Amino acid sequence: MRHHRIAGWSLLDSPLHRRDARAKLLATLLFLLALALAPQSSALAAVPFALVLLAALFFARLPLLPLLLRSASVLPFSIVFALIEWASGHGPHGGALLAKSYVSALAVLLLAASTPMPSLLHAMESLGVPRAFVLIAQSLFRYLFVIAEVAQRMRLASLCRGGTSPLRPSAGFRASAGSLAVLFARSQQRAHGIHMAMLSRGFHGSLPLAVRPRFRPSDAGFLAAACALGAALYLSVTLR
Amino acid sequence: MTPVIEVRDLYYSYEDGAQALSGINLTVGTGETVALLGANGSGKTTLLLHLNGLLTGRGTVLIGGVPLTPSSAQRLRAKVGVVFQDSDDQLFLPTVLEDVAFGPLNQGHPPAEALRRARAALLSTGLAGIDDRAPYHLSAGEKRRVALAGVLAMEPDILILDEPTTYLDPPAQRNLARLLLALPQPKLIATHDVRFAAAVAHRAVFLAAGKIAAQGTVEDLAKQYDWDWASFSPRP
Ligand SMILES: Nc1ncnc2c1ncn2[C@@H]1O[C@H](COP(=O)(O)OP(=O)(O)O)[C@@H](O)[C@H]1O
Ligand SMILES: [Mg+2]
Repeated sequence: MRHHRIAGWSLLDSPLHRRDARAKLLATLLFLLALALAPQSSALAAVPFALVLLAALFFARLPLLPLLLRSASVLPFSIVFALIEWASGHGPHGGALLAKSYVSALAVLLLAASTPMPSLLHAMESLGVPRAFVLIAQSLFRYLFVIAEVAQRMRLASLCRGGTSPLRPSAGFRASAGSLAVLFARSQQRAHGIHMAMLSRGFHGSLPLAVRPRFRPSDAGFLAAACALGAALYLSVTLR
Repeated sequence: MTPVIEVRDLYYSYEDGAQALSGINLTVGTGETVALLGANGSGKTTLLLHLNGLLTGRGTVLIGGVPLTPSSAQRLRAKVGVVFQDSDDQLFLPTVLEDVAFGPLNQGHPPAEALRRARAALLSTGLAGIDDRAPYHLSAGEKRRVALAGVLAMEPDILILDEPTTYLDPPAQRNLARLLLALPQPKLIATHDVRFAAAVAHRAVFLAAGKIAAQGTVEDLAKQYDWDWASFSPRP
């Protein structure tokens, strides 16, 4: 199924996939920090950052187009803010905001598509993220999949009977609101089923990891390179 | 000998008021496989969920003679392996091996031992060589066996299966029946499938509206409740 694709990609093998989740998590955070600190003056500042991500996508042997398209899902949110900036006379700021949010989304997707979620959650935990937060992220992650799956089934069922996707606003507000309610009720039911199945296998609060990750010299090298690159990117766009 | 499962006067109603179990009495003995027959909504799933403390009703549930209480539930859960009706509820980790190792890790086994148990369970369910596959890419029959492996890896004393033939084609059903026959644990299996029940179970109980309406051989109960195709006259 389509929504499983990121999870599927995260299990592929590549130089990037083989890096320790902690190293990748830290590198992504550094990247996002450098990007956030880059000047707001123009959208061009995001270009070097985007190039670095494209190179990483290439090394991770991930499909380019689907990831680029998926990252666009943040745009509806940022467009609202960009419009506010634009309306208040800061057009270029708006552009920079759009570019930055797009590149940030791509960075996060790259992390998710190159690191299995359980490893990522463990990385968070071992880097000192509070356990409660990790637990919430963990269940959110699982439930997002649940909701996506249920939505997909509803869409198929509707298409089979000659309808459109029931969750599309074009289906009419009443219809899509009704479908949304059904979607949540069904997702809740499914999530409940999953939770029961987890409990029955002795689950008591955290996802155990079968294979303990080892932080190898190559991971340290990767992290050091990421630090240097982050600093270089930041300097290249601020000193211009 | 102490029965492995003993249920006495069990009542349960869901929050919305639906009375799902109304006074269940049931025992399953050592080495015994019991089929749980009954219409949709008769309470089979609800009963099964009581047997490892996922639901708690009024009445007594004893597992190997030990009363199931909130404080003993976590420990007894390791003894009672439940295979859910929908494998997609049960399989949620990215790879087959990790998913099967989930139970043993929860039991506190170190990773190496958990993986050893997981591999052994996969081997015993005829699934060697798919360790790194994603569970959601498997066939329904394979999913069911991975779900069973995930339970077997916990080395339970008792197996509970909820409509295990759902979504399986006849060869996969036979495959599952063969597998279950080879497993030594006593079993309680909810099913609609009379032929499957007859193939694996020593005896059956028939659940109707939250009560045990009858007990006997699978064949007798099927006849009594007109529960198979025997009375159907085929297309002329
Ligand atoms: N989560 C629930 N909330 C409310 N009622 C439920 C729930 N699950 C099952 N029921 C009701 O309890 C009764 C028994 O259901 P169930 O145990 O699932 O039957 P079976 O497994 O034999 O089909 C049915 O009437 C069903 O509608
Ligand atoms: Mg049921």
